[in-house]
Amino acid sequence: MGEVEGAGSETAKVRPIQKIIDAHVTFTTTSAIHDFLKKTPLQDLINWGRKNSLWFLTQPMGCCGIEMICTGAPHYDTDRFGIIPRCSPRQADVMIISGYITKKYMPALKLLWDQMPEPKWVICMGDCSISGGPFWESYSTIINTEKYFPVDIYIPGCPPRPEQLIQGFVELQKKITAKQDRTQKGDT
Amino acid sequence: MNGEIETQINLKPSEMLLHLGPQHPLQPGPFLLDLVLEGETVKDATLEMGFIHKGIEKILENRTYLQCIPITDRMCYLASISNNEVFCSGVESLMGIEPTERAKYIRTIMLELTRIQSHLLGIGEYATDIGFLSMFLWMIREREPIISLLEMVTGARLNHSFVRFGGVAYDLPAGFKEKTLRTLNEIRKKVEKHDEIMSRDSVYLKRTKGVGVLSRKAAMELGVAGPAMRGSGVDYDIRKVDPYLLYPDLDFKVITAPNGDVFDRVKVRLSEILESIYIIEQCIDMIPGGPFKQGYNPYLIKPKPGEVYSRVEDPRGEMGMYIVSDGTFKPYRVKVRGPAFATMQALPPLLKGAYMADNAAIASSMDSCTSEVDR
Amino acid sequence: MNTTGELTLNMLKEKFQVTEMRVESPNRVWARIAPDKILAIAKFLSNELEFDHLSSIAGADYGEALEAVYQITAYSHGIVLTLKAKVPKSNPVIDSLTPVYWNAAWYEREAYELLGISFRGNPNLAPLVLPAEMMGEYPLRKDYKGYPNPT
Repeated sequence: MGEVEGAGSETAKVRPIQKIIDAHVTFTTTSAIHDFLKKTPLQDLINWGRKNSLWFLTQPMGCCGIEMICTGAPHYDTDRFGIIPRCSPRQADVMIISGYITKKYMPALKLLWDQMPEPKWVICMGDCSISGGPFWESYSTIINTEKYFPVDIYIPGCPPRPEQLIQGFVELQKKITAKQDRTQKGDT
Repeated sequence: MNGEIETQINLKPSEMLLHLGPQHPLQPGPFLLDLVLEGETVKDATLEMGFIHKGIEKILENRTYLQCIPITDRMCYLASISNNEVFCSGVESLMGIEPTERAKYIRTIMLELTRIQSHLLGIGEYATDIGFLSMFLWMIREREPIISLLEMVTGARLNHSFVRFGGVAYDLPAGFKEKTLRTLNEIRKKVEKHDEIMSRDSVYLKRTKGVGVLSRKAAMELGVAGPAMRGSGVDYDIRKVDPYLLYPDLDFKVITAPNGDVFDRVKVRLSEILESIYIIEQCIDMIPGGPFKQGYNPYLIKPKPGEVYSRVEDPRGEMGMYIVSDGTFKPYRVKVRGPAFATMQALPPLLKGAYMADNAAIASSMDSCTSEVDR
Repeated sequence: MNTTGELTLNMLKEKFQVTEMRVESPNRVWARIAPDKILAIAKFLSNELEFDHLSSIAGADYGEALEAVYQITAYSHGIVLTLKAKVPKSNPVIDSLTPVYWNAAWYEREAYELLGISFRGNPNLAPLVLPAEMMGEYPLRKDYKGYPNPT
């Protein structure tokens, strides 16, 4: 592309892709580049990279948090899938809601979610985060997580076993490959 | 939320306010620790809890006695058997029944297994916080066989809901004894090795010796619980002071350490693992036959009106439960006295005057469980 | 034969005119006290009788009255002395135990926000586990409307 403009010669051939670019895209913002890439096969390559480096945010909130820690540690060893625990939301791709969301914690959780760079995904781990679980009628919990976060994967169980969490990640990988996750569908 | 606290604290020009939390890697759950720093020294510390407050006490009032058991599990998921035990022993004394002889043995064994796995994870989390990541990975590796043993009996990895009024939910499966003895033997060797590493490694020693010292007098005054208390030289253990189940007849000693620093608190936990293994080995050979639970319908439990305060020694310390019964199918009031609650409360005074870099070591050596503090 | 628990109760009876008391088992004794005497009794217990450990402060709602329940015990023996003090719901104020037992602070804060018992003399009687906007709802009271959660 640089060749076409930079050379400044009228005789330079305009490639077919350039036509598409000229017709549809103005590369002014990052999201414009992303929108363009989504239309090309290059997105598959990007998705392949993304799905194999799903770094999750270590954020134990309850019983499921312990299972989450165990999943990241030896024996269940998620490093082999490229799933690595991160301590900072700035470095994470996946937020695992691993427990009861309370009215008091909700603003902080929202802040954590906002701090995570795109593309990002949410996994609801355990019954508490899906529907309140054993604490559904408590005065202090929020049971409709769906309203606040674009959840991709629900993992039921109280708490789910580490194998189930790994399966959840595998499902998320499948979703990313099929471009059916909510980030790619734009349903956030 | 944060703004409020900032306006409350009047900072001098040389001071700085540092928020740790609610999400922070050094924490086993969300809580907010506000540190006022001057240079590298902590001048003041404030704790804000309640980020995972679930209202368990209110929920328990609206459940039948049997339905309460799974909820008590989830107070502190690392010690669910002790939570079951404290609730069930309270209700048992309200009902005036005793667990069967076989159930007593099974419960004691399960309680000690819970203690082992909780301490392993506690030390592991602490090791990550001081930057000793290999120790964390080892501890989780050691913990998995114990979890398998618990799972073999109860069918669940974390929230067991295993203890029943007057007994336990299931009998021990075939082959439990052999597997337990084999596993415990391995764990003992490994824990002894880790103990050796931890008491020899010069970097580790520099990081922990003489850091966060909680004197004997201060520990008693602040009312910390469990290993944090025993690490300061107070031999306070509910298993000895107010014995329950088989503990009056068992031979074990209360582990204490004299100095009250971070090193000692962790050392106490490591030694307690070995002591728990010794207790299990005593019990497992003597399990009598007979029924493992009382033969009555657990769905129709209606204790006499009255109240009871039952206590057990949780992995984290003294766990108490105050149960009021009004003679109906549901408890009238349940109040939980958690060990982590007591220990957490003592954290701000302990952090005062410490270096910022030691903050992680001190906070995680207390091995608190936010879920239980908040309830 | 008198057990240590009974002796303790007898001492309380002589010194503070406690009327209602009972011995449940050697390690569990109960006494109902007047709310204005709690601080004096706690001082007496911790200074003279070596009850140096406050195990817990619970609160309970009994319709017209709220009850503060103190479990006081010791590091050296297993006797749990439960003191119960009823305060009227219209004016639920009781003395704080923080001058005697340092660790009473958080228990009192919890009882304050969940049940609305106000502890006079607590250095920082702020909500501990509830968000600030839920203060004043007192969820553990029996007439609380927000349970089960309407959402």
